[in-house]
Amino acid sequence: MSGATGLKWLSKRETLRVSKLWTQTILAPVISSLLFILVFGLSLGGRIKHIEGVDYSVFIVPGLITMAMVQAAYSNNASTIFQARFDRYVNDVLSAPMHPWQMTLGFNVGGIFRALAIGGSLAVLSVPLVGVPLERPFALVAMVALGLVLFSALGLVVGIYAEQWDHTTFIQNIVILPLAFVGGVFYSVSILPSPWHELSHVNPIFYLVNGLRFGFLGHSDVSIWLSLGVTAAFAIPAYLWAQYLFSSGKRLKP
Amino acid sequence: MFKDTAPALELRGLTKRYDDGTLALENFDLEIPAGSFFGLLGPNGAGKTTLISAVCNLIRVSSGDVLVFGEPADTLIARSWIGLAEQDINLDRFLTVHETLVYHGGYFGMQGDEAEARADEMIDVFGLRSKRDVRAPRLSGGQRRRLLLARALMHRPRLVILDEPTAGVDFELRIELWRYIRRLHSEGTTILLTTHYLDEAEELCEEIGLIRGGRLIARDTAEGLRDHFGVDRLTDVYVKAMEVQA
Repeated sequence: MSGATGLKWLSKRETLRVSKLWTQTILAPVISSLLFILVFGLSLGGRIKHIEGVDYSVFIVPGLITMAMVQAAYSNNASTIFQARFDRYVNDVLSAPMHPWQMTLGFNVGGIFRALAIGGSLAVLSVPLVGVPLERPFALVAMVALGLVLFSALGLVVGIYAEQWDHTTFIQNIVILPLAFVGGVFYSVSILPSPWHELSHVNPIFYLVNGLRFGFLGHSDVSIWLSLGVTAAFAIPAYLWAQYLFSSGKRLKP
Repeated sequence: MFKDTAPALELRGLTKRYDDGTLALENFDLEIPAGSFFGLLGPNGAGKTTLISAVCNLIRVSSGDVLVFGEPADTLIARSWIGLAEQDINLDRFLTVHETLVYHGGYFGMQGDEAEARADEMIDVFGLRSKRDVRAPRLSGGQRRRLLLARALMHRPRLVILDEPTAGVDFELRIELWRYIRRLHSEGTTILLTTHYLDEAEELCEEIGLIRGGRLIARDTAEGLRDHFGVDRLTDVYVKAMEVQA
């Protein structure tokens, strides 16, 4: 007995939850991001012609995809583990013959699946809408992987610590969303005056947005290696933190 | 029938102190032979659910050992041998009856075809055929209770732990659940039952343990307990045992 079958079924369960509620989990965020592209890109695009040589409507797409994906990865995992704890059906997994690392991985899968479904849909729809290129696919894949590990693991950690629903939404609305907005989704930080320019560089989502922008457009405000390094520096501890909670049972087991 | 030489369950010096300082179990020893039907009786807060949670890896044990058929309870093989029906209804709200069983089977190592076939079998055994594709929140209380028991038995566990399985159910369902449980035991499965109903313990269990304040204060057959306490009814045994300890 290796627990591999358990991991497979836990992963299936997490993706099933996303697909059963697809209008809420995938369709709604895709429409919402498309509206951003249409409203900001096509209306403001008339006034802001180019940023760094790229049409404004194209420039904002990578950031909007990033924002939609990180929010989906986080909120999905925060809610799935919180719900499982709240209704106590998490016990069905905790008592199962699976290793803690398999539980951590299995619970992470749902957020990653949901974020990829949203990001993939947006990328596909953005091509005919605004003509977004895909200049550096390998860099894009690496950045997406690290970003999703970071935010899906963060969702798990917050969902495990949360004592009520408000705690999970608080982090999303007060931390993730504002950091995404000031992370250069709608603008290049190179146009910001000091100290806002420097302050932008302490925002981890800034590096994620720029990493994805590099993947799509081939250039960004910071080096792709710095983006990869900073995102990895947050993603690895976040995942290890989630793993620690499953290994030790802290907050999951009294 | 399983032919085991090791006890189905062995607790050695099991102690659990919760983070708030509550001592739920103190140096608790218990051995339940394979193939037996053991009942655990005690008031609320006696430590019954803590004991079960320790066996099923649902709490962090402070000290002591838990062995299931000779294997440490936290090993994968030991976990695969245990089936638990908890006192509270803890069903996955996103899954149908059929999915609840199939996914549980999957978590416990069953492959797809095997899990599908077993789920259909359990659905028939527990009379849930008409609710096969209904999600748990839409089931009646009795149907949820049956689904909990079906889920606990889904992966053919060798040790079934039932934490107050008939709490809050009507008389008809109680009798029906007794019938399932008896049949299970007759097939060789070891059963650990906690209950508040003394008649249930007397009706079903071969041996009964009385627990209070995190300690096992008596253990025998219903008849042995009556003789020991010099009374005619198990109710009087319970009252006397708990008074002595109060």
